[in-house]
Amino acid sequence: DDFVELSPEYSIDSENYFNSSDDYYNALIASYDMLQSTYVNVILGEIASNNTLCGGESATDVVGWQQVDDMIHTPVNSNLRDVWNWMFAGVQRCNYFMEFKDNIDFDGREIMIGEVRFLRAYYHFELVKWFGAIPLKIDERYKLGDETSIPRSPVSDVYAQIEADLLLAIKVLPATASQTGRVTKGAAQALLGKAYLFQDKFSESAAVFEELIKDENYSLVSDYNTIFEAEGENGVESVFEVQYTDVEGAGFGCLQCSEGNVAVGFSGVRGYVGDLYTSGFSFNLPTQDAVDEFEPGDNRKDVAILDIEAWAAETGAEYTTGFEHTGYFNRKYIPRKRSADAQGDLNLTNPNNYRAIRYADVLLMAAEANNRGGVSDTKAQEYLSQVRRRAFGDTNHDVTLTGAALTDAIYHERRVELIGEGHHFFDLVRTGRAASEIDGFVAGKNEVFPIPLEEIQFANGNWEQNPNY
Amino acid sequence: QRHVVTGVVSSAEDGTPIPFASVVVKGTTIGTSTDFDGKYSIEVTEDAILAYSMIGFETKEVLVESKIVINVILLTQTTGLDEVVVVGYGTQKKRDVTGAVSIVDSKTIEALKPVKVEQALQGTTAGVTVTSASGAPGSGLDIRIRGISTNGDASPVAIIDGYQGDLGTLNPDDIETITVLKDAQAAIYGTVGANGIILITTKTGRKNTAATVSFNSSIGIQETSRKLPVLNATEYGVLLNEAYAANGEALPFLNVANLGKGTNWQNELFERAPVLNNNISVNGGSDKIVYSLSASDLDQKGIVGKDKTGYKRNTARVNLGADLSDNFKMKSSVIYTYIKRKSINENGLGSVLFNALNMPSTMPVYDSNGNYFLAPTSLGIEIINPLAQIADTYNDYNLKKLNGNFSLDYEYSKHLKATARIGFNTSNSESKTFSKIVDYGGKVFDKTRSSVNQNAENFNDYTFDAFVTYDNTFNEKHHLSATLGTTVFKEWGNHLDATGYDVPNNSWDFADIGLANGVSDSKSVGSWTFDQRRLSYFSRIQYDYEGKYLLSAMIRRDASTKFGPDESVAYFPSATAGWVISDEDFMSGIEEIDFIKLRASYGLLGSDKIDSYKYISQLDGEATYVFDGVLAPGTAIGANPNPTVKWEESEQFDVGVDIKLLNNKIDVNADYFIKTTNDLLIGNIPVSGILGVAAPGAAGPTVNAGTVRNKGFEFAVGYRGNITKDLSFKVNYNFTTLNNEVLEVNNGSGFIEGGNFGVGQPAPSRMEVGKAIGYFYGYKTDGIFQNQAEVDAHPSQTALGAEASPGDIRYVDINGDGKLTSDDRTNLGDPIPDVTMGLNISLNYKGFDFVAYSYASIGNEMVRNYERSNSNVNRLSTSLNRWTGAGTSNSVPRLTTAATANNIFSDYFVEDASFLRIQNVQLGYTFPKSITEKLRISKLRFYGSVANLYTFTDYTGFDPAASTGAPIGGGIDYGFYPAARTFTFGLNLNF
Repeated sequence: DDFVELSPEYSIDSENYFNSSDDYYNALIASYDMLQSTYVNVILGEIASNNTLCGGESATDVVGWQQVDDMIHTPVNSNLRDVWNWMFAGVQRCNYFMEFKDNIDFDGREIMIGEVRFLRAYYHFELVKWFGAIPLKIDERYKLGDETSIPRSPVSDVYAQIEADLLLAIKVLPATASQTGRVTKGAAQALLGKAYLFQDKFSESAAVFEELIKDENYSLVSDYNTIFEAEGENGVESVFEVQYTDVEGAGFGCLQCSEGNVAVGFSGVRGYVGDLYTSGFSFNLPTQDAVDEFEPGDNRKDVAILDIEAWAAETGAEYTTGFEHTGYFNRKYIPRKRSADAQGDLNLTNPNNYRAIRYADVLLMAAEANNRGGVSDTKAQEYLSQVRRRAFGDTNHDVTLTGAALTDAIYHERRVELIGEGHHFFDLVRTGRAASEIDGFVAGKNEVFPIPLEEIQFANGNWEQNPNY
Repeated sequence: QRHVVTGVVSSAEDGTPIPFASVVVKGTTIGTSTDFDGKYSIEVTEDAILAYSMIGFETKEVLVESKIVINVILLTQTTGLDEVVVVGYGTQKKRDVTGAVSIVDSKTIEALKPVKVEQALQGTTAGVTVTSASGAPGSGLDIRIRGISTNGDASPVAIIDGYQGDLGTLNPDDIETITVLKDAQAAIYGTVGANGIILITTKTGRKNTAATVSFNSSIGIQETSRKLPVLNATEYGVLLNEAYAANGEALPFLNVANLGKGTNWQNELFERAPVLNNNISVNGGSDKIVYSLSASDLDQKGIVGKDKTGYKRNTARVNLGADLSDNFKMKSSVIYTYIKRKSINENGLGSVLFNALNMPSTMPVYDSNGNYFLAPTSLGIEIINPLAQIADTYNDYNLKKLNGNFSLDYEYSKHLKATARIGFNTSNSESKTFSKIVDYGGKVFDKTRSSVNQNAENFNDYTFDAFVTYDNTFNEKHHLSATLGTTVFKEWGNHLDATGYDVPNNSWDFADIGLANGVSDSKSVGSWTFDQRRLSYFSRIQYDYEGKYLLSAMIRRDASTKFGPDESVAYFPSATAGWVISDEDFMSGIEEIDFIKLRASYGLLGSDKIDSYKYISQLDGEATYVFDGVLAPGTAIGANPNPTVKWEESEQFDVGVDIKLLNNKIDVNADYFIKTTNDLLIGNIPVSGILGVAAPGAAGPTVNAGTVRNKGFEFAVGYRGNITKDLSFKVNYNFTTLNNEVLEVNNGSGFIEGGNFGVGQPAPSRMEVGKAIGYFYGYKTDGIFQNQAEVDAHPSQTALGAEASPGDIRYVDINGDGKLTSDDRTNLGDPIPDVTMGLNISLNYKGFDFVAYSYASIGNEMVRNYERSNSNVNRLSTSLNRWTGAGTSNSVPRLTTAATANNIFSDYFVEDASFLRIQNVQLGYTFPKSITEKLRISKLRFYGSVANLYTFTDYTGFDPAASTGAPIGGGIDYGFYPAARTFTFGLNLNF
């Protein structure tokens, strides 16, 4: 029987890896890789909110997104399942690294571990935002059968894990990363502050944001428009940014495999031929209500919203319309003209980085924590006003409100400052405003999305479905 | 008293002399053989009996008495009972076979004239279905024996002259017989027998025959068997206006009167294309040596895309057998094959035929400058001018393959024989795809940078067998045959691919990586290598008592490297039994019945057809991220491992009966079978997402995760006879019923999805407990809403996409909960036919011969998925019968550009694809000997044939017989490339 005993040629066994710093670096890249699949969290988060309609070609184009838009989604939804699957794939890759984190020692290992902790916290945070309680397994890979034995940890436990990972990450991460795209201490602080905010832990949140702001590693870019163009990528305002490129091809068979930002092509103007932009699938269409949220004189409006009719009239651009055409597009993340080197399918490989945590977001979160936590309305006013000064180019729009009025002003500011960036739905949910703002939103149900039906079935009774699904 | 007898031995069929027939004095070794003209001369005594025999003819005995001239006419063998059947590691007489076996001989292959071997099995063998994903030249075919038993690889294994080989590359003219082992008898091939075994015997020469040179040549013209009715320009304009008006939009065509008929894209696309086939062979043998040599050339062009599609196959074969000494024999055959293939984009969204159906007839092929007209983006980004698409398609594939075997038989004694043989395949293939810079105006096919992809593959394998067979008869009644042996199988290979960018001049002429000097920022090379092995020991005992009671038992032990060390070994036992009832005394008085045999078999067979190394976790995932603005490659885990993955086991039961009636004129075979495949090997099985299986390059584990049962009834009847002395006929009919049911899918969810429908819609096909594998899962419809009152009375359909209006499809609230949701999806049928049938007729009248082959498939469903759900594309002519107001239509919904739920996957798109196809009709004429002899040729025959003459079906697509072959999602039609109708004229010349 020796004939049938052999080992695979030219292949590496996952259990005998991690023997050099390069091995760790390669596994670290794998942990980062899943960030690119968060494109769906961004676009679907936006569609779920009252900022945009789903759109697309027809009412049945990406059915799962259409249902989320109308708040009629059920546990049978392959697109929600993507969120679950892809974020857990990120967790799994982080856990693989952590499982072998002590194999050898080398310079820079601690930083890498800090990065992986941040990434795991990022994936866990997405999961808890979307699905609430989730199974937790730490520093060890999930194995077949875990789905029937590991229970869904309560939301508070998930946050405790996120906090623990980020606190350890903050200790070891540098203020400036060795390579663009890698995590900094500031990113970990921002995510921690955000995680606190989502739990209404305002004083902790305010404190960590305070440190971040005090370090002065980040600042607002003076021209809001440049943030979202290619030249604005990884700028001074970018606390954490998901990196994309168009040098590698991609196909519909594996959207999460694309090195490009898939959400961008999906958000593009259907059949567009003209200046500046290129075409896309006409999803994620801003509503009139969202457009009207901008105050007169707000410079951000024309950056965030493309009024296609006006644009076409002005430049002679041509376009066609799809389902739920509103006349508006999410200008921050629609396809720009492409380089000659761009690989196809061009709709899936747009190179636009996702500015996941902007310093403006940090300021607004800090303002909210200070205000809602009763820490300091003065600080809250100051942070809010910093954001508004850039938006209006003057100090006439500074805020002097306090208390609940200030809270509302901060909410308003978050919506317009961050429109099109995937945050609004979760802001509405965590502040209890979703039911009154989103058509079809059912309180006590739609705060979280259903666990995919397949997962409930795989768990074989181990996991309960979220309430009312 | 001795005297000399002379005479001529000739054939009853055509009266021609039979050379090299043996003439022997019965009970002695005295004998001679006939010469070229069938003449013989022998000295005998008056009481002698002369036995005249020849392979393929019935032996005839004549008492000499005082005759001095004895002319003998030999009947062609009709009973077939003494025919030798290859059953794996040995042969059996047909009368002794106790398993379910179907045989296709060279005559059938000659009559069907298939381009590829697999086609000869459709309609000629009960229990075997053959489907193709495409009628394009050189496309692969899928064979399924007794149903689809796995979501994995369900294809049978082909054994060519004893070694594992590939049907797809063989020249059909080189084949003597195809034997299909359908039941547990295939257990002698344990490891690989679960999906059935196809044994191929290639042609050999015959001893003591003069060299026969035979030359076959044919030329065929192919044309499409079907074009779909679509709207012409005027109809399109009128209906598009109606759709726009229904949604309150401005009319796209203000004047439809001048639109005329416009472009018929299918007429522009389909053309007649030639197929040429030449084949030459030499067969013969002496006392000790037999030989068979052949060479062939096939050149087939496509009915779509002419020069951009095509299949060329050249083969050369040498087959040699020699008796090295009295008890030492060798056989060897070697086949060289060269294949070249070009193809176009097929069977998908945006494929050539899909585009031809969806391009509006109002649009021209060329614009006013003579360039290809660009389809506007209003048609969606996949639809482009199909003629431009073909013009911009450049690819090339070629394969060079050498396969063959070498075998030694040694006879220790009359009873003990040993065989050692080795068979091998070695192939090298290269392919090249050039994608040029092209701008279709904002379509997915646009390319801003040219590239050329080249890849090279090398596959090798060998099969080594060594076995001994003991055969003896005790007390003249107990016949025992025992075989003991071992088989070693090893396959290995490698692959290398690379992409070069910026091809000079943007031209195919310069498309080679060597010239493409552009730099890419991402990895543009890839490779893999593999080495897999199997080691088997087997034993078989066959026993019969007076040839009346037949028993056999087999056991095989297999070890495969596809499984981990703990699971690599499995044992596969089986047993068969037969009872020749007609040999019993109580049957002796019944003249009408010549032969009845009852047989039964039961056994376990296995399959290890999974990808390599699935039991270990490898770092072959995909990890790339962007650091400092450039791609950074990393390392990630690939597919989830399954250390306990083990053999798939197929449990097969068969009872059958073989009957011959009325002087062997009627031949009946019937079988009932139950084939249960346990521990199905399912690759990339859906498992919980927490395992990280959705990451790039990752996949679910390969798991023994299900059970599928196929059961059915097979029946074949043949009738042969003469109407007059000159007019003989044969009729063969067979049918197979098949019931497929998934008994278990133990991945937690209880189902596995597959296939695609429309754009962005859920998977339409499933493997689920209690249903047929790959059944269609969608909404059931209940006509069209005729008015608002009907809409109001029905549960809201908003959740399906849009609120219904009159003229929209009414969906059935299956679960009766008063809402229409995704829970209301249900079983809409499956692509597995309930019954398949073949009817084959042949007639011979003097020099004329005629054959007709037909095939029918009943109860198979197909999904119509070639209509793009976009308002502006062209439509099928069925839309002329659309709903336009109450009472106008209850089957075709209204036309509107507004949002509707009419395009979700429902039974509106599922059609009955039952069909009856006249597969082949051939008429031939063989010139009489009197003429050909003068020309010094032994046979000259001309024939004309039509393949795929006509298909009777209600299915609206191109080809109801097509299938992608995928167990889940197989019957989904994006516009299958139809099988061509081919008119062939050819000649057979022997000298």
